[in-house]
Amino acid sequence: MRIINHPILGEAAPRKNITFNFNGEEMTGFSGEPIAAALRANNIIIHRYTRKFHSPRGVFCAIGRCTDCVMIVNGRPNVRTCVTALEEGMTVTTQYGAGGGA
Amino acid sequence: MSFDLMVIGAGPAGLSAAAEAASHGLKVAVFDENALPGGQLFKQIHKFFGSKEHKAKMRGIDIGIELLEETDSLGVKVFLNSPVVGLYKNREIVVRQKETVRHFKADSIIVATGASENLLPFDGWTLPGVMGAGAAQTMMNINRVKPGNRVLMLGSGNVGLVVGFQLLQAGCELVAIADAAPRIGGYGVHASKLTRTGVPFYLSHTIMRAEGRENVTGVVIGQVDENWQHIPDTEKHFEVDTICLAVGLSPSAQLLKMAGCKMSQNGTPVCDKSGETSLYNIFAAGDVSGIEEASSAMIEGRISAAAAAKKLGFISEKSFQKRSGELDAALSELRQGMFAPQNRNAPLEKTDEGFNISKSLLKKGYITEEEISEYPGFKPGAGIRPVIECTQNIPCDPCRDICPKGCIKVENIVSLPVYDENTNCTGCGLCVAACPGQAIFLTDDRPGKVEEGKVAITIPYEFLPLPEKVGPGMAYDRSGAPLCPAYVSKIQESAFLGKTPLVTFVVPKNMAMRARFWKAV
Repeated sequence: MRIINHPILGEAAPRKNITFNFNGEEMTGFSGEPIAAALRANNIIIHRYTRKFHSPRGVFCAIGRCTDCVMIVNGRPNVRTCVTALEEGMTVTTQYGAGGGA
Repeated sequence: MSFDLMVIGAGPAGLSAAAEAASHGLKVAVFDENALPGGQLFKQIHKFFGSKEHKAKMRGIDIGIELLEETDSLGVKVFLNSPVVGLYKNREIVVRQKETVRHFKADSIIVATGASENLLPFDGWTLPGVMGAGAAQTMMNINRVKPGNRVLMLGSGNVGLVVGFQLLQAGCELVAIADAAPRIGGYGVHASKLTRTGVPFYLSHTIMRAEGRENVTGVVIGQVDENWQHIPDTEKHFEVDTICLAVGLSPSAQLLKMAGCKMSQNGTPVCDKSGETSLYNIFAAGDVSGIEEASSAMIEGRISAAAAAKKLGFISEKSFQKRSGELDAALSELRQGMFAPQNRNAPLEKTDEGFNISKSLLKKGYITEEEISEYPGFKPGAGIRPVIECTQNIPCDPCRDICPKGCIKVENIVSLPVYDENTNCTGCGLCVAACPGQAIFLTDDRPGKVEEGKVAITIPYEFLPLPEKVGPGMAYDRSGAPLCPAYVSKIQESAFLGKTPLVTFVVPKNMAMRARFWKAV
C-alpha cells in the first residue's frame, strides 16, 4: 500500500524503519508517521469496535476530527491514531468500547 | 504573552493573514492544533486556477512552501500542537499545549479555523473503508499510503473530481464517481481528466449500501428521481474496498460561536467586508466564514489582516485603502464565472459568450465531437497548433500568460480562451502543461516532422510509469473508449512544465480531433 514513487510528489524520502507491536504481532513502520498510516501499510484497517453494537470502525477523517480511529496506544485508550506519531517499540491494541478493560 | 495579532489556524487563510499583518509591522502569533503548519494546503497537489496574482498554475503544495517561507522571513511566531480551546470576546484565547493549558492575549484576532468534511449516512457507512475524500487525500499525499485499492467516489464537486484524479495518480483504481445531483457539480475540465482515462460517472445516483461485515467489500448505488427518491431496480454493484465521500464541507465555527459572535443561518459568522465579526477586532477568514477555494481563503486572510493593521494604527487610512483595493479586486476576480458562490445553484446553459454548455459534459463528463467544434479554442487545421477544450467560464488565464508567442487570447479572466490563427505556434507545449484543467492539446501534422497521413497529438500526462519512447499503446477518445493503436513519439519533462510531463503519440489523421488519451498495451 506504500506509494514509493509518485508522479507529482516524486520518490518517497528515506525514512527510519522501526518496529512496533500490534495486538501482540510485530510490525514495521516509519518513525514519526501517523500510527494509522503504518497500520494501513500493514493492511490493518479495523481500529476499534464500538461499545454497544460491537461494530468495527476505522479511519474516517484522517485529521484528528472524528475520533473514529482511536485505539489503545501504550496502554492508554482513546488515542487518535491518525494524528499520533508512531514511535519505536510502541504497543498498539484494538480498542473495544471505551477501552477501559476487557 | 501578548501579541498585536493572534491567528487561529495555520492553513492558507491563517498563514496569509499572518504574513500580511507581519509585513505591516504587527507582532503576530499563529496557533494550530497540528504538528505541521499548512492546513490542507500540502495535500493539494493539483495546479490551482486563477491568474498570476492568485498563484494560478502553482500546486497547493508549492504555494504552501512559499507561504511558510514568507511567514518565517517576517518573524511570525507559529505555535504547533497547540489547539485553541477557548476564545473570548475581550480577545483572549486559551490554548492546550501537551498536558497544560496556556492563556494568550492580543489586540486583534483572526479566526481561520477552516472547515470539516460533511458525512452522509447510508447502510454500512460506519464500516472501515468508508472515509472522507479529504481523508483519502491525507493518506495518499501526506502519509504516502494508498487509502485502498479499488475506490468509489460519492460526490462530483471539485473535491470529488480532484481527489478522484489524485487517487489515480497514487495508483488506485477509481471504479466510478456517483452523485445524487443530476449534473456534475465541479468544473467540466476536472471531470474530463477522469473520463478520458475510463472513469464512469453516475449522475442522479446515490449509495444504497456499503457491503461487508468487518470492512467494505462492495457498494451498491441506485438511481434517484428529481425528488431524491430511489427508483427501484436501478441498482448497480461494484466490488470496492474503499468508498470516499465528497459531499461538501461545513465551517468549523465552534470557537466563534463560543465567543458569542453573531451567526447566520448557514452556520457562518456575520462579517463585514473585511471579515470583522460582530465582536470588535475579532475577524473570520477563509472557509470558516464561508466555503470557497483556497485561493479565495488566502486573499480573505490578507484582507482581514490589512483591516486589523489599520484599526491598530500600523498603517494609514490611505495605504489601507490602496492595499484593500488591490485585494478586493483580486478576490472579486476569483468570484466570477459560472461556478462563483453567487451562481452556485444557477442552471448551466450558456457561456458568457453565448455558446451552449455541453450537456454531455454535465452528465457524462466529456464533450461530444459535435459539441466541441462550437468553441473558440477548438480550431482544427494544418501545422502545429493548440486545441483548447475549455468550455465553461472559470476564472483562469495561465494559458494566455505562458504562451511566448501570444497565440492564446483570454479577454477577461472568465472568458473562454481563443486560439488566434494569425500567430505562430511553435509547439513548445507550455500551455498544455500550464492549464490547470489539462484541457489543452497540441496537434501536429507538419510534413517532414510527422509521417504523411498521420498526426502527432501532445497531451499532459501526470501518471507513472511514463510511456516508453516509441512504446506501443492505444489512443482513447474523450469518453475513455479505445480508438486505435498509437505509438509514443516524444516524452517531455522539464522544470518549465511544472511536473506535468507531455506525451506525444501518433495516430491516423482522422483521429486528430478525437484521440485525447494514451495507455500502454
